[in-house]
Parts: sequence; structure tokens; C-alpha cells
Amino acid sequence: MSSLDGVVSELRWSAVRSSALSYLLHAVLAAAAWILAVVIAARFFPLEHAPRFEAIGVPIAFVAVAVAWIAVRPGSMKLMRTADVRLGLKERLSTAWERRGQDGPMDAVLRQDALEKAARTRLAAAYPVGLRPGEVWLTLAVAVAAVGLVLLPNPMDQLLAQRRDDRAAQAQAAETVAAAQKKIAAASPAAQVDPQIQKILQDARARIASAPDPRAALQNITPAEQKLLQLSDPQTPARASTAQNLANNLSATNGGRAASQALNASPSQGARAIRDLASQLQNLSPQDRAQLAQALATAAQQAKDPEMAASLQQASSALASGDVSAAATSMDALAGQLDSLQQQESNDQQIAAAINGLEAARQQLASQADRDAAGAGASASPSAGAGGSAGSGAGGSGNGTGNGTGSGNGSGTGNGGGGSGGTGGQGSSGSGAGQGTGAQSTERVYVPAAPIPGQSENDPAPLAPGQDVPLTPYDQVIQAYEQVALDAADQSLIPGSERDLVRSYFSSLGEQGGGR
Amino acid sequence: MIAEEPRLDPGRVTELAQSLETELARLIVGQKALVRDTVITLIAGGHMLLEGVPGLGKTVLVRSLGQALKLTFARIQFTPDLMPADIVGTNIIREERGRREFQYQAGPLFANLVLADEVNRATPKTQSALLEAMQERTVTVGTETRALPVPFFVLATQNPIELEGTYPLPEAQLDRFFFKSLVPFPSEEELLEIARRTTGRATPQLKAVADDKAILAAQEVAREVPIAEHVLAYAGKLIMATHPQRTELETVRRYVRFGASPRGLQALVLAGKVRALLEGRYNVAFDDLVAVAHPALRHRVFLQFEAEADDVTADQLIDEVVEKTDKAKAAG
Repeated sequence: MSSLDGVVSELRWSAVRSSALSYLLHAVLAAAAWILAVVIAARFFPLEHAPRFEAIGVPIAFVAVAVAWIAVRPGSMKLMRTADVRLGLKERLSTAWERRGQDGPMDAVLRQDALEKAARTRLAAAYPVGLRPGEVWLTLAVAVAAVGLVLLPNPMDQLLAQRRDDRAAQAQAAETVAAAQKKIAAASPAAQVDPQIQKILQDARARIASAPDPRAALQNITPAEQKLLQLSDPQTPARASTAQNLANNLSATNGGRAASQALNASPSQGARAIRDLASQLQNLSPQDRAQLAQALATAAQQAKDPEMAASLQQASSALASGDVSAAATSMDALAGQLDSLQQQESNDQQIAAAINGLEAARQQLASQADRDAAGAGASASPSAGAGGSAGSGAGGSGNGTGNGTGSGNGSGTGNGGGGSGGTGGQGSSGSGAGQGTGAQSTERVYVPAAPIPGQSENDPAPLAPGQDVPLTPYDQVIQAYEQVALDAADQSLIPGSERDLVRSYFSSLGEQGGGR
Repeated sequence: MIAEEPRLDPGRVTELAQSLETELARLIVGQKALVRDTVITLIAGGHMLLEGVPGLGKTVLVRSLGQALKLTFARIQFTPDLMPADIVGTNIIREERGRREFQYQAGPLFANLVLADEVNRATPKTQSALLEAMQERTVTVGTETRALPVPFFVLATQNPIELEGTYPLPEAQLDRFFFKSLVPFPSEEELLEIARRTTGRATPQLKAVADDKAILAAQEVAREVPIAEHVLAYAGKLIMATHPQRTELETVRRYVRFGASPRGLQALVLAGKVRALLEGRYNVAFDDLVAVAHPALRHRVFLQFEAEADDVTADQLIDEVVEKTDKAKAAG
């Protein structure tokens, strides 16, 4: 050995060689322990990205161990001391190294003695290359445990899948609300888009997206719908009715026929036509004025909106008394009320579109919430679909659709006439369609073997040869459907007004059915 | 920096010590540890307290040492009526050519090697006179201070039994002794060898292997043996561990009244240096400190009465201190 520096270099290389393998094993142990910890945690807590966590931990473990390896590298003095102890050099190397810069009486002979002893010793033996069996076994055990737990199925996977589905359903519902927003914005001129509706939809969308689960998201829809309903004017139907009556009455007059047609087209066109009529009152013959005054008076009597009734009455009175100017003024006021009606109807259309969007989102969320409650995960459980309810119409025709989930099919027929609509079919899935045909009000109506909800749905009893299709009295079917619909309405998160609609619908059907 | 050459080659010190031990071994049977402690104390320039029953060869050891080193030897048997003047000397009236004058007559302390036999039998006054001479290496008679010869090596003995009528050395005086060695009773084989050597027609005569100058040179060389900082720190930790207020060892806290003094650390390190030389090394190792810990510290660790009651000795406590003091930790 030529010098103490040479001794240090050799010891340092030996130490690096010795510790590298040991630290590598420690890195593997740390990585395996990390993976094991994540895997165990993932079995108790639903970790969304457990594999990613595991993957991230491995390089971090190696880097951390590498940093530790570099940081705790022994210094020269430490190397010498360790070599002294492990090689039995009686502190020769460390003393000589400590006094390497000294030139005392004994330093030269001390260095010589230390170098001679070092030369006769295998310095690498101070830092033997090898692994502790305990550490090796520990690493193996941790690694095997980690791999085993990774390969075994994780009970949290089902919950995670459900969460993913929940998020997807919430995102889809939020998208549906966003689509409703866009639709409203696209359907109306920018100036007529109610910012409050957009704000309500925007808030609902954000709450749906940020809700912890679909059930919580559902709770945001009803308040939003109620806010939207508060934006609608309750007088709108009365005004629309008044405008319709006015159009009907004006259609029989010479001067107001054009205005009648315009009113039938839209309130705004009607308003323009009324203004035109008001400006041309001077040109009308006395007979036409009287005819017009009569029509206005009739419309005023039929009017359900007090303001419009007043305007109509004033215009009628003015015309009857020959005060054309006052009549024109009243008719201009009436035109303004029609413009207002136009705006209200437009607003109501936006509200309706918004509520439709929210309802669509509700269905998506409710569907996912039901799956969550059933614990069925992503797969839908077969269930009875709601039967389509037939519409009712004065024309004696109706149709209805029903939606269901699961498998199966449904069909239905509806009988219209006399104000009664057909009933939709019921199936365990799919859609049911109802068709209405006219019928006399005194006729007893039957539907062909439509299964009553709650009874066997998928397997109707096969008919014997020659046996006719079994018929069920209409009122029984309606009662059964009413019960199911009302139960469903009571159990669902739908606005009270919508629930009342369902109730009134079946009430009206009951009244009509009572006459059969 | 100009290198300061030692007056004696370190290798020669090793040879001197080894030849001295070999020569003493011709006459003294066994007792290798005792001989080694004696040589270390001599080269370290200290004094030694021997504790052992009579007849174990203490006097022979000192006398043999004198022969092997060509040094003057004196033996003082300490008794209760021994006065200080009996050992340091006194002024006596002499008549010379009709004139009477005081003339100093040196006492037995004026020798290179002094055996103070049964030192605990003398009164404290006489003990103090001896211990002052050991520390200062001078004696003062009347108004005149006289230097003792160099090298000056006192080897005091005390009997662990027959303590009645003795004056145990106070702690401060015990601290003056570099080493306290125990003289063990020889083994049966050694006893037979003693009989063979001493009951024959002729007793082996020792030849001188060194002189006073060689001893003094060796003492200087010994002090130049380097000790690394971490080894020195270990020595410090050993000393600290003997102090009940500063140690973590429960037994030391329980049984020790006072721990080793700074003189204990000096003795430990210096003895370690000498031992390193005797082992043929030029640096102090941990092993050197461990090897000299007992003789250097056993008379500096003062025990509680509880230790006596529990039959705990200073050597046992030193063993525990050495065992529990981590070398690597002590070195930082």
C-alpha cells in the first residue's frame, strides 16, 4: 500500500460495493412494503387509483434509498475507524489518518506501521459483500405478500365500479342539463333568454356534477325545478285563453278578421294586428265598429285575465260610444298586454325546456341511484316498466309511451273518445305504446289481457285452443295503474305540482270512466 | 515544521520493556500482569500501590527491578511509630574539627526505587510525608528542599486483611498512585516453581538491562505516542461513566460515591500509551485503555457503603463501565 490515501480509496470502493447490494435490497424491500401497504389500504378504503399509487411508490422508494445511500456514505475517517475495528488493526489506520498532516516524532513511524499492517491485510474484508439473511427473508416475505394481495380479488373493486358509474351518471346528467341550456339559448333570441333560467340550470348542473352520489345529486333537481316554476307567470293561461277568445270573437267581424288570424298565429302578431286595427278604426264603417265593439265586449265577458278584460271592455265601450280615440288607446293597451303574453309564453317555453332537461337528468340519476340501492352495480336489474299512459284528447285519439328497464316488452291500447284516453302497455322493459280509438261514452271498455301491475307480467297464461283473449274491465285496469302511478310518484323526487298532475290525470280518467 | 526526534527509538523502548519483563520473569514466577503493570508504571513515571497479602513477592519484585535496571533500592517498613523524619531524613549535629553543625542525613526516600511496605500502618502524618515526596519528587527538611533522585518510583503495599490498627489512605492520597495493582495468590503450579527456584543452592541473579537514563528516555518517548481523538474520547467516556451523576449505568449510580478524577484520565491515557509501546505499536488503541482500566481506576472509584454491603467491588463496576461504554458511540 503506497499511501494512506490509497488505503482510503480501497476502503471506500469496498464500502460502496458492500453497501450497494444492501441498499438495493432495502430499496426492493421499501418498494414491496409500499405496494403491500397500498394494497392493504385499498382493501379497507376505496382507493381510486391504487395501481397508480403502487407504481409511483416504486421509483420513489428506489430514489429515496439511493439518496440515503449517497447521503450516508462514510467519510474517510469513518472508513479508517471501521477498518481498524473490523480488521483488528488496533486503531492504527484511524490514528495515522488523523495525524496524516502531522510531523511529530512518532508520526512517520506510525504511518509506516499502519501502512505495513494494511498491506498485510485484505482491506476489502472490512466491508464484506453480502446480505443479511433476515433482511432477504423479510424482503421475500413482503414481496410475496404484496404480489399475492395484488392478484387476489379486491372487495373494494365493486364499490369503485359503482362510484365510477355514479360519476358517469352524474356527468351525463350534468351534460343533459347543459344540453338543455344550449337548446334554450339556441331556440330563443339572445335578448329573450331569461338569465335566471340559465343561472338556475347552471347552478343545478354544478351541484349535480359535484354531488357525492346520484342520490344527493337528485336532491338538487327538485329545488331547481321549483325555482323555475316560480319564474312562470300564473296569469299566462288566463291571458292565453283571453287571447284565444278574442281571436274567436274577432273572426266573425269584418274589421277584426285579420287580427283574428294574427292572434291565432301568435300573440305578438296579434298585437301588431290589434295596433293596426286601432289605427284604422277611423276608416271602419259604423256597422263594422259596432260589430267590433260587440266582439270586444263578448271577449271582455269571456276574459279570465282582469287587465285584458278591462282593456277589452274600455275599447268596446269607447267604440260603442263613438270615441275612436279612446278605443284606439285601449286597443294599444291590449296590444301591449298581448306582447307581454308573447314574452310570458316564450318564458314559459324556456322554463318547460329547462324542466324537461332537469327531468331527463333526474331519470338518469334516479336510474343510477336505484342500481346503487340494489347493489347491482352497473348491471340493471330487471324490473317492471311503467306502462305507457295514453293521452286523452277530444278528438278521440290518444297515444302513450312507456319506458322500462330490464327485459321484456309491453304493448297497450288506448280508447279515446268522450275524453278518455287509452292505457299504455306494461312490460318488464322497453316501451309500451297506446293507441286510441273513438268510443261511445256509454260503452263498456275492456283491454285485452293487460296484466295488472303486481301480477304476473312476463308469462301470461297460455290460451287454450278456441279460447278467446281474456278481457279485463277498463276501470279495474285504470285503478290498478292509478295506484301504481301514485305510489311511484309518492316515492320519487318529483315536484308536487307534477305529482298533482298525475293525480288529476287519473281523477279525470275516473270521472270519465264513471260514465261507462 | 521541523520534526522533533525522540531521544530513544520507540522500538528500543519496546525492546527495553520486553527484556525487563523477561529478566524479571527469571526470578518472579507468574504474576505477569503484576510485572506488566509495574513496568508500565515505571515507564509512565508514576507510583504504584500494591494490594496483597504478605509473602507474595512484592519486595522481591521491587528489588529485582532495581537489579535489572541498575537503580538504587530502599525498603521502608511502615509502622505506627514511623515518623516523617524517618523516611525523608533529618538534620543531625555533627562535630567536625571542633565545630558543631547541623548536617542533613538523607532518609530512605532518596533512592530510585522505594518499597513502602504496609503503608497503611503508618500514621497519616508519615503517609503525607511520603505522598508529598511522591507528588513533588522533593522533600523539605527544615527550610531546605531537596530533590529526590530520578527516576523516582515508589511501590507501596498494603494488606487487605489485618486492618485493625491501620490508617487507610485517604481518597486524595490514593489518587496520587498511578496504578493500584492486586497481587493475586499464585497458582499451584506457580507455587511449585517458586519453591524450586528459591530453595535451591543458588538464587538466580538478574543482569541489568537498562539504566536510569534509559528509563528517563523511555518515559519521554512514551508521552509522545499519539492517541487518536476518538480513542481519547473513549477514555473520557470511561471516566465520565464512573461518575454517578453523569453515567447512565444504574449500578454506578447506586454503588459509587465519587468517580474517577482527571488524574484517572491522565493515568488511563498515559498507561495506554506505554502499553501501546510495550505491544509494539505507535498509537493508543481501545484495547490499551481497556487493559489498563482496572489498575488505573480501581483506586479512584470510591464506593458507597451499599456496595460493601452487596459485596460489589470497584473492579466489577469498572468491568461494567468498560462493557457498556460503546467505543463507536463514544467516538462519535
